[in-house]
Amino acid sequence: MKRNVKKQQGAESGQWANRTVLRRTLVMMGIGIAAFLPLVAQLFSLMILRHDELEARAINNQTRSTAITADRGVIYDRNMNILATSKTVENVFVDPVEIKQKKQDVAVLAEGLGKALGVEESLVYEQAADTTKRYKIIKRRVEEEEAQKVRDFINEKDVDGVYLEPDSKRYYPYGSLCAQVLGFTQSDNVGAEGLEKYYDESLSGISGKIITTKGNYGSEMLYTNEKYYDATNGNSLVLTLDTTVQYYLEKNLETAIEKYDVLNGAFGLVMDVNTGEILGMATLGSYDPNNYVEVYDSELSQELEQQYLQAQLLPEGSPAYKEAIDEYNQAMSAARLKQWRNRAVSDGYEPGSTFKVVTLASALEEQAVTLENQFYCGGAANFAERDRPLKCWKAAGHGAEDTRQALGNSCNIAFANIGLALGGDTLYRYVRDFGLLEKTGIDLPGEAVGYFYSKEAIDPHAVGGGSNTITASFGQSFKITPVQLVRAISAVVNGGYLVEPHIVGQILDESGAVVQKNERTVLRQVISEDTSATMRELMEYVVTDGTAGNAKVAGYRIGGKTGTSEKLDVYDENGKATEDKIVSFVGVAPIDDPQYVVLAALDTPSRETGIYISGGVMAAPTVGNILSDILPYLGVEPDYTDADIGRINVTVPNVLTLTEAEAAKALKEKSLTYRVVGEGETVTDMIPTPNSEVPGTSEIVLYMGEAKPTDHVTVPDFYGMNMAQANEAAVNNGLYLLARGTDYNGATVNVTWQNIDPGTEVVRGTTVTVEFTDHSAQD
Amino acid sequence: MEGTERLQTPELTVIDERGLMDVPFLLLTLLLVAIGVIMMFSASYARAFYKEGSSTYYFARQGGFALAGIVVMWIVSRINYQWWRVGSVPIMAAAVVLLILVPVIGKEENGATRWIRLFGIGFQPSELAKLAVVLCFAAMISFYRDRMQTFRYGVLPFAGILVVIAGLLYLEPHLSATLIILATGAVMMFLGGTKLRWFGLGAALVALVMVVYLTTQGYASDRITAWRDPFSDQSDKGYQILQSLYAIGSGGMMGLGLGRSRQKYLYLPEEHNDYLFPIVCEELGFVGAVLVLLLFALLIFRGYWIAIHARDRFGSLVAAGITTLLLLQVFLNVGVVTNLLPATGISLPFFSYGGTALLVQLTEMGIILNISRSNRNNLI
Repeated sequence: MKRNVKKQQGAESGQWANRTVLRRTLVMMGIGIAAFLPLVAQLFSLMILRHDELEARAINNQTRSTAITADRGVIYDRNMNILATSKTVENVFVDPVEIKQKKQDVAVLAEGLGKALGVEESLVYEQAADTTKRYKIIKRRVEEEEAQKVRDFINEKDVDGVYLEPDSKRYYPYGSLCAQVLGFTQSDNVGAEGLEKYYDESLSGISGKIITTKGNYGSEMLYTNEKYYDATNGNSLVLTLDTTVQYYLEKNLETAIEKYDVLNGAFGLVMDVNTGEILGMATLGSYDPNNYVEVYDSELSQELEQQYLQAQLLPEGSPAYKEAIDEYNQAMSAARLKQWRNRAVSDGYEPGSTFKVVTLASALEEQAVTLENQFYCGGAANFAERDRPLKCWKAAGHGAEDTRQALGNSCNIAFANIGLALGGDTLYRYVRDFGLLEKTGIDLPGEAVGYFYSKEAIDPHAVGGGSNTITASFGQSFKITPVQLVRAISAVVNGGYLVEPHIVGQILDESGAVVQKNERTVLRQVISEDTSATMRELMEYVVTDGTAGNAKVAGYRIGGKTGTSEKLDVYDENGKATEDKIVSFVGVAPIDDPQYVVLAALDTPSRETGIYISGGVMAAPTVGNILSDILPYLGVEPDYTDADIGRINVTVPNVLTLTEAEAAKALKEKSLTYRVVGEGETVTDMIPTPNSEVPGTSEIVLYMGEAKPTDHVTVPDFYGMNMAQANEAAVNNGLYLLARGTDYNGATVNVTWQNIDPGTEVVRGTTVTVEFTDHSAQD
Repeated sequence: MEGTERLQTPELTVIDERGLMDVPFLLLTLLLVAIGVIMMFSASYARAFYKEGSSTYYFARQGGFALAGIVVMWIVSRINYQWWRVGSVPIMAAAVVLLILVPVIGKEENGATRWIRLFGIGFQPSELAKLAVVLCFAAMISFYRDRMQTFRYGVLPFAGILVVIAGLLYLEPHLSATLIILATGAVMMFLGGTKLRWFGLGAALVALVMVVYLTTQGYASDRITAWRDPFSDQSDKGYQILQSLYAIGSGGMMGLGLGRSRQKYLYLPEEHNDYLFPIVCEELGFVGAVLVLLLFALLIFRGYWIAIHARDRFGSLVAAGITTLLLLQVFLNVGVVTNLLPATGISLPFFSYGGTALLVQLTEMGIILNISRSNRNNLI
């Protein structure tokens, strides 16, 4: 065609052009239709193949999820007293992006927030400076009063970029009471210790959310797909713990710490021997979970303060400064961990002679010994199994003694023989069956197991096996946890049943319906009912006639066992064992029908007080006091003997205006005596005043017409007095004397405590409580 | 360009009712306009409500323009297309003048000046330029006839016009219109018989210009980045295309249902305009979207069919040129919103919001309809 260009004129003109246009239009038509193929292919890829992925992304982009926080459950004691609850508070935060955009004056914000919240103004500057973020916290957990101040500030100054959001804060109305049991929640409302940790999932519930499809302006769409996922509020716990029991437990441990100058705190447990319900569990020194970061041990707190101040003297930023601050921080966190620790569950200790109950129960069950066995203690004895002679705690020796007396005397030599008679392998089996090698399964976090000889190490045929058996028999050189011990002791007295201890009785959902109920769980029977009955009798003997006389409680039959043990693995600066002691007593009441077991252990009583350091002298009266407080509260009926009447308080009846005969009758009903002053017909006045508490058998002074002396009297110093001296001092000073502790009137008994300080001025006829302690109870 | 012999034929009148209009083409056009207006309404009512205070704001205006456009189409279909041989000259002149005026009286939007207001109506001169190129080139090709094979006639005058218009568009800057004008011009030359070798040269030249353009214009190279990986930067450059893909992907096979798009709630920018097709996909699904594309494909097929059956070369070239214009716009728009091509602002004919654009498009359809009247066989 190219060659024909010049010829294309006239009639033929345009033929080439027409053909070309036609042909090329057809080509374009083909291209035009073909062009749709890649478009359809791309649509297929996006709309069919990648539909799910893109739709998910789109929905994620279009929806807004608002969290609905679930309320954390309440922790109640067994009587529905609130131990832990949550309260709504607010977090104050700033939006630095908005502050920048709306050109807010940070100085105004800093001043306003600083005033309202008591925060450093520099903090506000710092937080507001991060202009890439939209959420910078100024202060967390602000209560209503402060939150209102912030709202007022926002409104008055018409401030932008400052916001409040709801949050919740945990409250512990009883303060430090059973702090380690409850634990606490950290700033993110997650349980960090104790029950708060163990039951965190149940307590915290499930937070819900609202998913809303939103337009890009945040406004809702017409075809909205709003979905609500309700928050499930946390469950509540109803503990088996009783705040009153807990209070008495802590109070008496506290008193013991003061009385005996206990250096390293104390721990105690109250458990139902039949069900394993924990009624009280205490570790002292404690802390207040409302402010768990503070160190509550005042001495330790001062040391830390000093350490911090010393560190501050160093040039800031220097390596020495950094090191000192690191050390301080470490010491601080160690101090906190110490006060948070629930020693009743998380720490093993040396049970000492309290363990003899387990040894003897096993030996009786196996009939390795009977009640008729005779032992001889000369203060020290040689054993083929040991290199060195074994010394008893009583250097003079206990002389001849039967099995009952061996326990009453807590005689190490007798128990060495009992242990050998039983055999290390059998003892090991019982230790295992009494649950001392396993966790008790109590519903608290961080339960420890302690440690005991291995089966091989205590085997009679092994080298040193006999020697180890001897030491183990009287509870030395191994560790168990307090909760393991009270469980084992419970099994000894409750008929032989090993139960699983628990502290949560019920879990309730938000409507109050019971979700879970923890009931008595018996794991196994370790000893027979008969052996158990024998052991009850023997343990009562320990209190009535043995080392635990100081644990006597008027009106109740108590059984128990004292323990004094040297702490293992505690050394002084020179690497020598410190001979620091843990003294303890485990008591059961009423021993004829066991209901409660109480353990009290005092860690390292000071040698400075002059009081002999032993479980019998220190821990037994502590448990006695606890029992005398809690048994009446728990509804255990007392059964007073005649001798007990003088050891309990009675209420003085109102005999004013009565004749002598009428008054005498009323007083006799209360086991009170009287003397008359004056010659009148009727009682015109009396000492003490009506309705005061005086010990039974006390002499009431009735004034018949004559004036009553109204002078004040001084409380004498009863400390160190024996019973006769104390009574005389009381009478001479016009006071009544209520005696606690041992009723043994011997030379080794004297007053170790009085409830009113010497020298205090009181009205005539006031009752002073004194505690008599038998200092011969040296184990 | 004074016209051909046929222009002087005595039976030639302005009103041309000699034959029947091509019914399939007419019906396809009306169907697409109807679907387009409905979809524009559905897509725009959230924006109309939030931004303009009335859900029907865009719909009312677009509907009005559609009705006016159909009237204009009817009128144009009765104007003998031969008149456009002469008419192309003032149209081209007007387009060039307006393009020159754009930087002077136009209003700036997002760093580009593309709009001017004439008699109270916003108007993009580039729309007129596209039609001008088609008409003008068709007239020139018809006039040059066999001389199209030479460089002097077949390339030079066309290239000259294209350089002037593309240069003016480049100054706005208006990349998409530049591309469409260049491509349409090239297709016209191709149809007219320009030697193929010149297209190779032209393509090389365009490629060179594109490379220089994309590297020097920051906003354009950002678009390339967003095209390659729209998920890389969701908040900024990739945002628009990502939202578009969300809308398209959400559609699935059958779609969310008419009016039930979620992406139109101000997530997808320009959802009533360049990005209307994603809303079509979201609401009508793959089935609906392919149906719409099928209607366009049929319209384009019919457009070329009319071109092939046109009575003369001029009619054939005008019909093919307008159809090509339509094809380019549909392909580029759908290609961009589906991320097949890098993002550029090209509206979807009959669908996108814009009254004057719709008027121009319907005028173009009217021209094709008139050409179809004199087809050798317009009943098929």
